[in-house]
Amino acid sequence: MAEMVFLRSPQGDEIKEIEATAEKLSPWMSSGWHQVPAPAAAQKPVVVAEEEKQHG
Amino acid sequence: MANISELLNGWGFGKQTAIGTANLVATIWRHTNLNTKPWAKVPVNEDDRAEIGKGHEFPTQLFKSHYNMPAYELSKYASSEFLAWALSFSMGNVVVSGSGPYVYTIVPALGATNPTGLELPYFSFVQQIRPGGSAVLDEMLVGCAVKGWKLSIKNSPGRASAMCAVECVTTGQYTSPSGITLPAISTPHEFNAGMISALTFNGINYLTGGSAKQFVSMEASWENNFRPGFFPGSGAQDGYQIQGRFEWGDRAFAVQFVVRVQAGSTEYANLINLTTGTATFTMTRDVNNSFTMLIQKMGFNVAELGNTDGIVTLQITGVQLYDPTNGMVTMTVTTPLQGICQ
Repeated sequence: MAEMVFLRSPQGDEIKEIEATAEKLSPWMSSGWHQVPAPAAAQKPVVVAEEEKQHG
Repeated sequence: MANISELLNGWGFGKQTAIGTANLVATIWRHTNLNTKPWAKVPVNEDDRAEIGKGHEFPTQLFKSHYNMPAYELSKYASSEFLAWALSFSMGNVVVSGSGPYVYTIVPALGATNPTGLELPYFSFVQQIRPGGSAVLDEMLVGCAVKGWKLSIKNSPGRASAMCAVECVTTGQYTSPSGITLPAISTPHEFNAGMISALTFNGINYLTGGSAKQFVSMEASWENNFRPGFFPGSGAQDGYQIQGRFEWGDRAFAVQFVVRVQAGSTEYANLINLTTGTATFTMTRDVNNSFTMLIQKMGFNVAELGNTDGIVTLQITGVQLYDPTNGMVTMTVTTPLQGICQ
């Protein structure tokens, strides 16, 4: 399984866990999402699978 | 007196926390440089020749004006760590994964969403000749940024077949002596053109397609076109005004390459038909050191017939289009070095 990284939305109000491959990261990074450290376990966000549909 | 070969260069592989806050020594590496010049400091004075009321047209006084720091080139054989550094500091949006080797995924930051607006990460640059009590040169330039880079790949033997030149700018702020004890010189993991493992531009595979002997050379470059950073409150050094920011202007990403012409070459057709496609360029040294430039949407702007060393060639000028989903370009560098641009 590919490693996952955490990205924060440009607005700073959302964190998603994304697979760390160029193909998966490109749409998010290109729309302004930035890497952040892994959040505390209690605040761990939903894995991005569903949201990926928005970005093809 | 000192020979220029005594010049030691070190610079921040990690980013400064602010433009005026120098790198700590733990985030500075030391590398060789094919540019044989030191980074000159150029304080500029002005005078009062334009002011009337003196009774004559001649200048009578000198005034300190500003530090007009020239751009400085770091010229090196392309290596995994140097490419990771140059691309991260020039483009700004970096994601790091892995636990050794480390994978750096890099895209150009957008002004609308970049946490630092139009500014890229800053680093410090150390140059020394015989550092210590009787140093010939020992200074640290603070607030440096990558203005642009050029990656050159060509048909030739050895490390010179894959070169990366990085143009840097700096604010004018410095400390001398630097107070830095440079680490041992780094041994970069260098590439050469023989390590190209993927080479497909706009649907044409130049590595395994056609005769597989078509590719001659490529130049890719990035330019941030920084705006001047003098503004009210930008700061001073030795009584001279310094720049307090480097904001990118209209950035430019250029790719040109030369290929041999053969029967069935489709470059003209791609140009005339406005065909676009991805472009993938990969160099792989080993599992710990690789570089991929993935251009999300490339078309051909110019396809000029010519000759290279007697062989009929086409020089292609690509036009890199911004894809609404994937952006313009994604750089991926795998390297053993941790903490680059972090």
